[in-house]
Parts: sequence; C-alpha cells; structure tokens
Amino acid sequence: MSDDLKAKITELFREKSKGDKKMFYIRDVTKWLPGEDRHAIQNTVKELLDEEVLKYWSSGSSTYLILTEFFPKE
Amino acid sequence: MANSETPLLDELEKGKWPSFVKDLKQAAGKNPMARDLIHQLELSYKDRIGHWKHGGIVGVKGYGSGVIGRYSDRPDLFPNVQAFHTMRVNHPTGWFYKTDTLRKLCDIWDKHGSGLTNMHGSTGDAILLGTTTDHLQSCYDDLSNAGFDLGGSGSALRTPSACVGPARCEWACIDSLDLCYNLTMTYQDQMHRPMFPYKFKIKISACANDCVAAIARSDLSVIGTWKDDIQVDQKEVLAYASSINIQKEVCDLCPTRCMEWNGKELKIYDEDCTRCMHCINLMPKALRPGKERGASILVGGKAPIVRGALLSWVIVPFIKLEPPYDELKNLIERIQDWWDENAKSRERLGELIQRLGMRVFLKAVDLPAVPQMVKAPRTNPYVFFWPEDLKKEVK
Repeated sequence: MSDDLKAKITELFREKSKGDKKMFYIRDVTKWLPGEDRHAIQNTVKELLDEEVLKYWSSGSSTYLILTEFFPKE
Repeated sequence: MANSETPLLDELEKGKWPSFVKDLKQAAGKNPMARDLIHQLELSYKDRIGHWKHGGIVGVKGYGSGVIGRYSDRPDLFPNVQAFHTMRVNHPTGWFYKTDTLRKLCDIWDKHGSGLTNMHGSTGDAILLGTTTDHLQSCYDDLSNAGFDLGGSGSALRTPSACVGPARCEWACIDSLDLCYNLTMTYQDQMHRPMFPYKFKIKISACANDCVAAIARSDLSVIGTWKDDIQVDQKEVLAYASSINIQKEVCDLCPTRCMEWNGKELKIYDEDCTRCMHCINLMPKALRPGKERGASILVGGKAPIVRGALLSWVIVPFIKLEPPYDELKNLIERIQDWWDENAKSRERLGELIQRLGMRVFLKAVDLPAVPQMVKAPRTNPYVFFWPEDLKKEVK
C-alpha cells in the first residue's frame, strides 16, 4: 500500500475536519481523490483503521469514518 | 395495592397476545439494566419521545460492524442504561441451534449484558440488547470462543440469511443452507469492514414460497426454482377433486392461466408457467417441482427508508447452483462493484437501478435483457435498446 496515499488521505481528513463536520462516508473519501483507484482508497482506509488513525462511527444503518482524535467521548 | 410505576407500559400487557413488557419485567427482577430500561421506556411513552441517543462505538478490535452504540439521554435518571449497546450475532444458517448452544449464548449474555435478547432481528441475527462499552471486547471474545461471530451492520454486507431449505422442507430446489454458509464465509471482509455506500442484503429462499421474504427484503435475492416441467401425478389430482375446487382454486388463480382441468385430468402448459408454486401448495401430493433444479437471481428489493419499498426484479431466470458457486459469486461481485462505484451515499441497489436505468445496469454487469424481466414483454418498454443495437436491427 502506498505511504503516499495514506498520507494524502490522512491530510484530507485533517483538512476536511477543520469545520464542524468531522464524520465522512467512504464515498466522500473517494470523491476527494477523483484520480485514484477506488479499491486502493478503500484498502488504504482499512489500513488507517487498523493503525487507529481513523475510526468507524456507526449509526447502525450507516457507517462513517472519523479521525480518532475527534471520536466522541462517552 | 400500590400504584404501578409504569402505568403506560402496563397497558401493553393487556390482551391475549404475548407482551414484551412482561418479559422486560421478568428480566428486571434480576438485572438492573433491564430495570432502568423499563423506566426509561415508560418515560418515553410519557414524553412521547425516544430517550436514546444512537450510534457511535463499534468497539471490537478489527471489526467495523456488529455493534450498534446506544446511549440514554437521561443517564441522570437511568444510570444503568447510560450505555446500552446492541450486539448482532451471526445466526446459524436456517436458525438451527442445539439447546446447549443456546444456553451458552444466554450465559455469555447474562455475564456481559442485560440478559435481554431479540431472537431474531429482521436481518436474521441473534440480537443481544444492552451492554456497556467496557464489556464489548470481552463479550465478543467469549462469543468467539463459543463459536459465534458478529453479524453485519452499517454500510456493510449484512449477515446473509436463508430458509431452512432441504433440512426440513420437501420443496427446496437448492441447498439454501450450504449456499448461505458459503457466501457468509466468502464475504467476511465485506461484512466486518464496512466500505459500501450503504447496506447490502443477500437472502436465499430454496423455493418460490420465499419463506425468508427475500424478494421484499434483499438487494440480492436467490430463489430456488426449476427449469423443466412440473411433475404431475394425475391419480392424486383426481383425489384432490373431491376436497377442493380445482378449477376455481387452482386453475383460475394461476397467475399465467397455464392450466386446464377437464374434470378428469390436469393439463399444464409449462412453457407459460412462472413457477410461482400456487398449484403445488394447494395439491402437494399431486404436483411437485420439476427435476432440473436451480435458482432465479433477483436484485433491488428493499424496505422504505430513504425512498419507498421495492420488490426485487428478476435478472437471471435460471442458474444452476452447485458448490463452490463461482458463477453466482462472480455475478454478486460485478453487481456490488457497479453499485459501489455509482451509488450515492445511502442509496440502495434498487434505487440506483431506478435512477440510472435497468439498461445501464444490465450492460454494466454483462447480462442480457430477457423476457422474464418484464411482465408483458411485447408491450412493456421496460428495457430500452441501446442506439447501436437499433442501428444493427435496421441493417
């Protein structure tokens, strides 16, 4: 997996999380990177989840992605 | 007699039907979570508003689904349900349990949660209702040691489910149990690591009676059927003539009117039969599905959430289904890939097909348009030609 892509996705999450909105669909992430292969983005996101840079946030019916530092505390 | 603390819930105990309130009260006798749950529910009825904040934690290492976070918005009043997460446990295919397995499951849940279960949720999973965040991982570990795994939730492949199929049913045209288990094991990553635009459900019924309601509830329905002629035992048909009105109840209710009854013999025009099983259900001793068995594949079913309800469309009228089911898996992956690429967030497969058109869908997944997709093939322009096909036709 390219470290470049990992860094790019992490940076985009930081950039897009500057406002009030902190949670994003995987679809948002693929839209941020229109030139990249969708599957490569998904696999990189999975790695970022494994490394706990990102976290899943689930409503039960839909799943969002969020930077770990913004994951709501109970 | 002292006034009840839950007068509104008490109303739900009246009547002849079983009451979940009665079950909750029983559980409240031994579990403080269940006790607080009752009182929060009473408050919800009183205030006419739900007192849950939902969503959040998915809490088990390596998993992005199977846990649904729930929190009380009145933890000051109900501290024992401050966190009350749901765990979805992948059910055994066809919902077959041994009693000792059920005991194990309940013991684990008594140890880690409220003891309350929903057996089963509409997705099919065993639903364990109410645990705290610090119990999620240890509960999962115990479930895993007992041979269980979590099911799907969120924007993932939901736990595939199937009818009891050949284990109990004489009408099974496919081994729904084996297929469901095989697909479940193949698609573990899609179930546990949500990466889809929204939920995707696969349900398998071994015949057209569709006991798991695959046609109404799943994005991809596999429904057992047959290709050749219905097997007829004319002697048994004649025997039925003394107990049912074959003309009125069988022939006249056949959706394609493909049968004739002359008082002595039943004639079936199999080329017009849609394999709905109405006649077989009414005369099970006289009629049986044909011998060449397989399944129809349908797509697009869903309940109303973002948009209205849809029933599945036939896209493959007949496919032989034998392990390792490579042809079906290949089709599923083509369909999911097209949906994943084109769907908006929270758009189901059926909605996407409605938005972009069946013609586009069929081309993308490399399937031909066939008459079985359309109710009235000669009059219904449901599947449009591509301009290049029209040109070919003109030449």
